[in-house]
Amino acid sequence: MKDRIARALTAREGPMTSELVLHPGGFGLGSVPVRLTPAGTAQSVCGFCSTGCSLTVHLDHTGQAINLTPNPHYPVNLGMACPKGWEALTPLGALDRARTPLLRNKSTGQMEAVSWSQALETFVSRFKEVQSRHGQHAVAALSTGQITTEEMALLGALTKFGMGLIHLDSNTRQCMATSHVAYRQSFGFDAPPYTYADFEESDALFFIGSNPCIAHPIMWQRVMRNPHNPDIVVIDPRVTETAMAATLHVPLRPKSDLVLLYGLARGLLDRGAVDQAFVDVHTNRFAEFRTFLADFPRERTLRETAISAATFDRLTEIVATGKRVSFWWTMGVNQGHESTRTAQAIINLALMTGNIGRPGTGANSITGQCNAMGSRLFGNASSLMGGYDFASASHRAHVADILGIPPELIPARKSWAYDEIIDGIDHGKIRALWVIATNTAHSWINQSRFAALRDKLDFMVVQDMYPTTETARLADLVLPAAGWGEKEGVLINSERRLGVIRKVSRAPGEALSDFSIFKLVAELWGCGDMFARWKSPEAAFGILRELSRGQPCDFSGIEGYDHIESARGIQWPYASSSGSAAIGHERRLFSDGQFYTADGRAVFHFEAPRPMPETTDNEYPFLLLTGRGSSSQWHAGSRTDKSEVLRRLAPTALYVEINPKDAKGLNLENNDSVTVRSRRGTAAAFVVITPNIQSGQLFMPMHFAHVNRLTHPSFDPHSRQPSYKACAVRIDRATTGLDEAASSF
Amino acid sequence: MRPDFEATPKTANLSSYLAELLAEQRVLDTPVSRFSRAHDTQVPDGSVTRFSELIPLSQPAVDEQYAFQVELDSCTGCKACVAGCHALNGLDEDETWRDIGLLVSDDSTHPFQQTITTACHHCADPACLNGCPVLAYEKDPLTGIVRHLDDQCIGCQYCVLKCPYDVPKYSERLGIVRKCDMCRGRLSVGEAPACVQACPTQAISIVKVPVGRLNGRPIAATSNFLPCAPDPAITRPTTRYVSSKPLPASLRRADAHSISAQCAHTPLVAMLVLTQLGIGLQVASGMAIIGEFTAPNVATTGYTLFVAGLMASVAHLGQPFRAWRVFLNLRRSWLSREAVVFGAVMVVAGSHLAVTWGILPIAPLLANTSLLLLGTTAIACSAMIYVDTRRQFWSPTSTFGRFLSTAAISALSVLHPLAASGALLMKLAMEGTHLLPSNRPEGPESISTRLLRGPLLTTFLVRLGLGLAAAALLITDNLRTGFALFAIGEFVERTIFFRAVSAPGMPGLPKR
Repeated sequence: MKDRIARALTAREGPMTSELVLHPGGFGLGSVPVRLTPAGTAQSVCGFCSTGCSLTVHLDHTGQAINLTPNPHYPVNLGMACPKGWEALTPLGALDRARTPLLRNKSTGQMEAVSWSQALETFVSRFKEVQSRHGQHAVAALSTGQITTEEMALLGALTKFGMGLIHLDSNTRQCMATSHVAYRQSFGFDAPPYTYADFEESDALFFIGSNPCIAHPIMWQRVMRNPHNPDIVVIDPRVTETAMAATLHVPLRPKSDLVLLYGLARGLLDRGAVDQAFVDVHTNRFAEFRTFLADFPRERTLRETAISAATFDRLTEIVATGKRVSFWWTMGVNQGHESTRTAQAIINLALMTGNIGRPGTGANSITGQCNAMGSRLFGNASSLMGGYDFASASHRAHVADILGIPPELIPARKSWAYDEIIDGIDHGKIRALWVIATNTAHSWINQSRFAALRDKLDFMVVQDMYPTTETARLADLVLPAAGWGEKEGVLINSERRLGVIRKVSRAPGEALSDFSIFKLVAELWGCGDMFARWKSPEAAFGILRELSRGQPCDFSGIEGYDHIESARGIQWPYASSSGSAAIGHERRLFSDGQFYTADGRAVFHFEAPRPMPETTDNEYPFLLLTGRGSSSQWHAGSRTDKSEVLRRLAPTALYVEINPKDAKGLNLENNDSVTVRSRRGTAAAFVVITPNIQSGQLFMPMHFAHVNRLTHPSFDPHSRQPSYKACAVRIDRATTGLDEAASSF
Repeated sequence: MRPDFEATPKTANLSSYLAELLAEQRVLDTPVSRFSRAHDTQVPDGSVTRFSELIPLSQPAVDEQYAFQVELDSCTGCKACVAGCHALNGLDEDETWRDIGLLVSDDSTHPFQQTITTACHHCADPACLNGCPVLAYEKDPLTGIVRHLDDQCIGCQYCVLKCPYDVPKYSERLGIVRKCDMCRGRLSVGEAPACVQACPTQAISIVKVPVGRLNGRPIAATSNFLPCAPDPAITRPTTRYVSSKPLPASLRRADAHSISAQCAHTPLVAMLVLTQLGIGLQVASGMAIIGEFTAPNVATTGYTLFVAGLMASVAHLGQPFRAWRVFLNLRRSWLSREAVVFGAVMVVAGSHLAVTWGILPIAPLLANTSLLLLGTTAIACSAMIYVDTRRQFWSPTSTFGRFLSTAAISALSVLHPLAASGALLMKLAMEGTHLLPSNRPEGPESISTRLLRGPLLTTFLVRLGLGLAAAALLITDNLRTGFALFAIGEFVERTIFFRAVSAPGMPGLPKR
């Protein structure tokens, strides 16, 4: 009786209860909410970082994406994704998507919706006008590591061979240029040698300027799966999440990594830990390197890096005694004033100890953006598409032959680097700019200068998913682009794996894929015939496949998108001659000790360390480090800020981390409002006191728009990559409340 | 929708090309049938078996229940659990059932940070369940999972106030709260919960934990819950945070220094103030009211205020039409008790009004004594609703003091204005003590103090001004204006009562 009354009074079922009811989703998905039951699924690699996770996108009966889960059968992510991957569909539905082209009305200064034909005619007439007045090269383009390989190649070919531009660079300059140059010089080709299985096979892993726990959490998964109880060494000034998980954290002085790495090499020499047999047969210039290392005695290393003798000795011992030692680096190395030599100092350690070409070894650059590796091979910026050289007539002829264009259309010189293009604007050499899928006004070092230079441009076009990015707001013309999930193409991940992205969502309004936009521009520019064979992304992929043939990155054995998908991604090389069927899911390079240099030997590169370009002084007594703040924010936040879920996973206002000792000295407390100043600008922030940052240093996350007002524009001379990680600042209690800090997101 | 073309000869071809590209952009070239087929031929799903080692093989025994276990050593801050739970459970865009926080150390010699992932702790003695007036929470007798019945919920949000871990989340869209159910649907078919499936480092698992009773109340064997988390003795959370390394002594929540004012709950403010003013006036109407007023008028005003207060309370509910069930949890919920007692007050006060108007032949003393006793009980029930949340700012002294004095001053204003004025000054002084600095550098009390001295200072000064003005007017015989200012002041006071409370919760991220 009592139960019957209780039942009568209790609503166990009903419309709200059924909203959350789960049932088998089919397609091997396990349980899913009933109302999100898929009618089918598609596989697509993720479009945020370079890990290259495969996502199973759930589709409704019209083929529109309604949800996603990480693909459990993909060798990269093994059914896992970071929060950005889980939320990958959300930014597509943002209310501020660009739906039509927008043109700035000259009289009102406002952006107004225009037709595609008007937008394209304006694009062509304004760019051609600038070219006729100031020379062909007065138009430049800034591209991205976030679009597909086919799109990058089409843009590179269109701008340089069709529109007559020379200067096309990409935001991969900000993250990966150093690894590109370091590998090219040391190995003869830009060839990260590893496969993710190496994380599991090492008995010692070195992470140098790398925080994979939050920057590449799905790679970190592989470290956690390592069954060999490995030494995990983290070389980083900060006590990062990864440093917390390490077996040995080396909190060196910022930008003393080059000295440390040379000191370590010297320590290995002194211990007799050199793999002489490997060095003799497979490398060049080791004798010179040995001589060079005379300048790096233990005392100097300890003095300049501020690490303890015990730590240094332990480091040396781990490398010397490890059977399978792998060295991994990310932006802490790549974004430095002597970054190429630092990356090569890591490569040198792997070479001299023979830790390369075997499972669990390697000098391994963990890439940043989802298609930085595609950009490095086919971006057509500093190297000719396909990994060729602009300066070589035979390379130009070869590429022209494959593309079916006259070889004289291919310029013999490479592009200016990003910073040189910015300088070019300042000096009046660049008068018009086309920015594609990057946010220069947020992410470029010393960003205020870019905004100030805007007025020196006669015309600026921004092609983006959102007309609301800091850069798009400065544009004269905004072209609405379809995003990841709204188009097809190939992305290449950190371990050289080609993966396919699929069209699973309709782009809003009249937004078009970057590929279609480039084709339209070509058509109206008058060079459409040149790209007649680039009918579709997959047709373009066929051209890239021909370009790769015979190169180290040869993937001529790949039949097409379906082949890549059914093979669960394919790592290059994958030549048509290589008997592809027998090739495994996890492949590394150089197992035969043969490198891509002319004589097959790797080269030791080294150079005396130089002091930091901007050091602290009385006026600016703190060294500011910048970097990734959380796993839920991607770079400038253009996409990740659109997800309420992702926004909850990180602080929503700009903060600055300071050591307790320094905070005490400045009488600062947690949550106090402060102004951080450099010689170039100011940023308002709130205080987070933590011993995880060393005394004398501050840390600020790069995702907030004002951080790059502070950074110091210095560049590695070889890679022209900006040094984001070190500049001199001061910190003062804010005089004017919190408003600015709160609005800085 | 076709774009607007200017059909100049030059662009005629372009127009058709553009139309072709726009049409192509709209075609999703991933036909469902093709991919469905592809999937049917793929390897069988390994995801279910893959995570089965992270859930128990058998159901809990009689003295056990399911619980989340978090391996702190393995949790390195990727936060995939939050997003995975969101996607796999089909939650709203702004709804998360898992949250992320951070524990840090201030000890320079031992830098430390630890991400804390947290969801419902499926407590042995759940405060949400105990407080819910309509029994919309159930603790599964077998698994111990605390389940929320979404179609039973009336959207009163009392569970939000009761849960020390900020677990139930109110949905404006639905007018109810929702929360984690440990993916009971998945567990029932041998699948791991969403967060367990989503963790790349397998830091989250489901385990069986012993449960029992202590002094008649349920307990769970999780004595060391988590440093810096709310006292586990209140609800006996079952989640186990385990680590091979001892956590440092000097831990602090990363959000320890962020203060934010809580929701004002305007309908509740109106309800509390109006019912208390009304009961006070109506009880006073049966006593020696001063010449200026007549008993029927005062009683009518009082009853009107009281009924208006009850109506205001309905506006607080997300699902008012389900509110008839509100008496269901008389056994445990002060909200059920309040509702029932308020119902009785409405009847008794109605009778009292009729007696005052001479319509109902009952002895006035009996009517008045009944109303006094029942009204006081009702106000005490209101106070107990907040006291029972164990929030420091809502201590018994403070809460009873505020609520009863509102009624008492209301009554005194028509009986003895000088006494009313004195009582109001004492009430103001009592409220002012919350602005005095606490001895402890951190903790909930000091958060209320900091709120009052910071973002809520203006509100408090307005409240003070209104109270002082009312006191002055009452002394100088401007009784009607004095009462009005007093009433408005009480509204502001009660707003502060809600806004300045420190809401407990699990450790959060640094927050402005």
